[in-house]
Parts: sequence; structure tokens; C-alpha cells
Amino acid sequence: MENSIEVVEIQKTFQQQTAIEDVSFQVKKGEIFGLLGPSGSGKTTTIKMLTGELGQTVGKIKVLGMESDQIGSAEFKAKIGILSDNSSLYERLTIYDNLKLFCRLYNAPMRRIDAILRDVNLHGEKSKTVSKLSKGMKQRVLLAKALIHEPELVFLDEPTSALDPGNAAHIHQGLRRLNEAGTTIFITTHNMEEASALCDRVTFLNHGKIVELDRPGELQYKYSTHAFHVETFDGEQLVINNTPDQAERIKELIATNQMKAIHTDEPTLGQVFLKVTGEELV
Amino acid sequence: MNVQRVSAIFEKDTKDFMKNTMLLMMPVVPIFLALLYKQMSGGEAFPTFLLYLVVGINLSTVTTAGMMTMMAEENEKKTLRGLIQSPASIVDILVGKSLVVGLMSLITLIVSLFIMGIEPLLNLKSILAIIFLFFFFLFLGIGIGLFSKSVAATSAYIMPVMLLFGFTPMFELLGISEDSIVIKFADTFPVMQAIELTDGNSWLPLGIIAIWVLGAGLFMYVCFKKTMTDD
Repeated sequence: MENSIEVVEIQKTFQQQTAIEDVSFQVKKGEIFGLLGPSGSGKTTTIKMLTGELGQTVGKIKVLGMESDQIGSAEFKAKIGILSDNSSLYERLTIYDNLKLFCRLYNAPMRRIDAILRDVNLHGEKSKTVSKLSKGMKQRVLLAKALIHEPELVFLDEPTSALDPGNAAHIHQGLRRLNEAGTTIFITTHNMEEASALCDRVTFLNHGKIVELDRPGELQYKYSTHAFHVETFDGEQLVINNTPDQAERIKELIATNQMKAIHTDEPTLGQVFLKVTGEELV
Repeated sequence: MNVQRVSAIFEKDTKDFMKNTMLLMMPVVPIFLALLYKQMSGGEAFPTFLLYLVVGINLSTVTTAGMMTMMAEENEKKTLRGLIQSPASIVDILVGKSLVVGLMSLITLIVSLFIMGIEPLLNLKSILAIIFLFFFFLFLGIGIGLFSKSVAATSAYIMPVMLLFGFTPMFELLGISEDSIVIKFADTFPVMQAIELTDGNSWLPLGIIAIWVLGAGLFMYVCFKKTMTDD
């Protein structure tokens, strides 16, 4: 499958400090790829290098088939959408005026404004002045701004950080629809549920280095103890290993009607991160 | 340059300008000064230096201060990054953003000079000098706006710019000897060169103003390039 992003052994050094070291990964076309890591791990630096806001010190980056020297060109910018902590809106203007500006800058049809506002659950609010919006509503307008031109590849830095669960779920639905239509999504998030639910593959970045990269389910399986946690009607908590010799025990609990609940012990992505790095993902 | 992108930025800035009280008040100062001078003149024609003083005040308070405020606000609120991340080029962004301030400067300048009597400046040399001065003050405003990072910080820069480059003809009224190094240095400043161009026979002052324009343009370019990336 064709890659939307190819990163080969990149390094980024600020003065004497290395922020990113020997990072390599590929993002397949049409994939939702999650970059996970604690604050200061290098997520934003990585996104900035992929979007041309920062140059890499060493290594090779190819995005949408374009090499580093073409990243930042008008052709490149027309194909990508960005939502980052650097994204902002014109506070004195309305939602509509803000989106109209970017529609015209990206040469997108004006009918996209209504469509994208529906996607971010802001239909009917377009005449509101941005300065009067809540933080969550502003975040949704920023997302609409990033997607107004139907980009091939979207970089989303913590897209639902300021949203309540209802609006976050609405955004997730919109992102899935966008992805089903063929858009590749590169996302950074602290929200492990979001990463598990949305991402096809995730990578863990810690102190500027990649420590894991796989499908969320595979990572959870890999770091599982493969044991079953059983609760009986007597209130007993049992840990039974997933081995052939323990099959009879599970069978007996079921046969004697003692089993109240049984769970596998697959860790959450947050727990996987903790196991891999010894650090909390905060 | 992409006309659609330039007009999109111009349209956005016009709407933003009309809702920005601080920017809307800027043209008041030079027009008020022109009215005051007219009142004080008793109907006599103004000397060239006084006409250029009003031109300098116009360009420093409307063009430079206006542009500085707009760019600093874009920089401070991080909206400039949104424009830079779009397919709009540096030229699209700068031309689009300069049009509103340019239009406002032109209207204010024409109104002020009509109040004072525009006739002495209706010649090729003076018109060229004013056009060059406009670009000098515009580039300076864009550069400082990008450099200063916040609207509040621009207030620290606007006064020196106004005093040095806008009010330069006032130096003659400070009673400093003409042989003084301060006056000799001030005479090389753009507005003083414009006075010399209008009153004299040489075209050399236009060349000197052009050097100031190039310097301001280079300053603006360096500041913009620095803003474009985080490197």
C-alpha cells in the first residue's frame, strides 16, 4: 500500500539538546495513525517537521510523495490540513467569515462551509462572533477550518482536548467519515480511549524516541499476561492462566455455576505505555 | 501573486479593521493636526517642510502604526500561522494585508493635504517622494509588527518611529545648530530627503529615499522569514 508519510531516521536538535532521535515510521494512505506520548516527548516537534514548520537536523521525510524541499510549497499546503496548538481564529469575525477566508485561500467551494459546520455540530451557529464562543466551540471551528478544503492528509494535535464527551464523540464520527472517504489522519492525543477507538495504528514516543509501534489491539495483546480474571458468586477473585492445564478449572467453575464474571486482562493503551516506558502518559 | 487570495485577505482585513476601534481612530490624529495648522496659518501658504511634516505624521501614525498593530495582532493571536500554513504566498499575505492600511493612508493623506493645500506637492518629484515614503513606512510597520510579537509591545516601538521618521522636520524647530551632527544625520532621513527633492533641483534625494525603502524592505523580509518557521 502507498505511504502518505515516510520518516527515516530523523533527528531534531535545538542548540545542544536533542528533541527527536532516530525516529522512523510510515503512515499508510487512508490510515488513522496515532502519535502518543507524554508532554515534552516530541509529538509537536514531529508534527512541525512533517508540516514544514521545522526542518529536521538529520534524516529524511517524505509527505504525500514530496521530499523535504517541497514540503512548505503551495501545492503541498493545499493537500494538507492542520489543527495544532498554533491554530487560531479571528476573534472579531463570525464563524462564517473565518471559514469563508480559508475557503477562498484554499480555492474550496463556498458550499463546503455548511457541510463542514454540520460535521462539527455547529450548523446554525455560523453568524456567531468567534470571541463569544466557548473553548469547545472554538476548537470545533478550528477543526472545520483544518478540513474545509477536504485535504488528503490531516494533522490533528489533540483535536478533542477541549471538548465534552458528547461533542468529542460527534467529532470522532466526523473523523471516521472523513477517513472512510479516503483522508489520511495523523493524530496526537493523550486520550487513550480516543486512540484505541480511532487509530488503525499507534506509536509511542518517549523522550524523543519511538518505543512501540503497532495496532492498538496488538499492543494490548502483546503486553497482556494472557490470564483470565474470574469473579465467583462467593466474591472470590481468581487469576487463571490461559494455558491448557487450566481449562478444566474454568470448565468446573462454569459447571458448578460458581462463575459470576470472567475477563481477559488486556491492558489499556495507557497501561501499555506505563509498562513500556515506566512513565505515566500524562 | 494570486488575486483571489489577496482579495480574500483584503476582505477579511477590511471587516476586521471596521471592528477595531484602535485602528479606526488612527486617521484622526493627522487630520486633526492638518486642521489645527490650517487654523493657525491665517490663510497663508504652508512651507514645504510643514506639508511634509503632515505627510510624515500621516505615514507614521496611519501606515506604520496601523500595519504594526495589524501584524503584531496576527502574530500574537497566532492567526498569521494560519495564513502561512495556507497556500497563500508571502506576497499574497503582505499585499492583502497592506491594501486596507494603504487605502486608509491614501484617504487620510489626501484629506490632510487638501485641508492644508495640496498644490505645492502636485509635481512628479513630490508624488514619487510620497510613494517611496509610503513604502518605507509600510515595510517598517510590517517588520516591526512581526518583530514585536504582541500589540502591547508595539507601543514601545511606535514612539521612536514617529519621532525619528515622522516628525523629522520638527528637528529644525528645536533650536539645534545646523552644523550639529544630529541635524546632519537627521537630514539624511527619508522625510528630509523628500523636502530636499521637492525644493531642490537634484534627483539624488530620491535615490537616498530608495535606499531607506530597500533597508526597510530587507528588515521586513528577514522578520517575515523568521516568522514563517519555528527554526
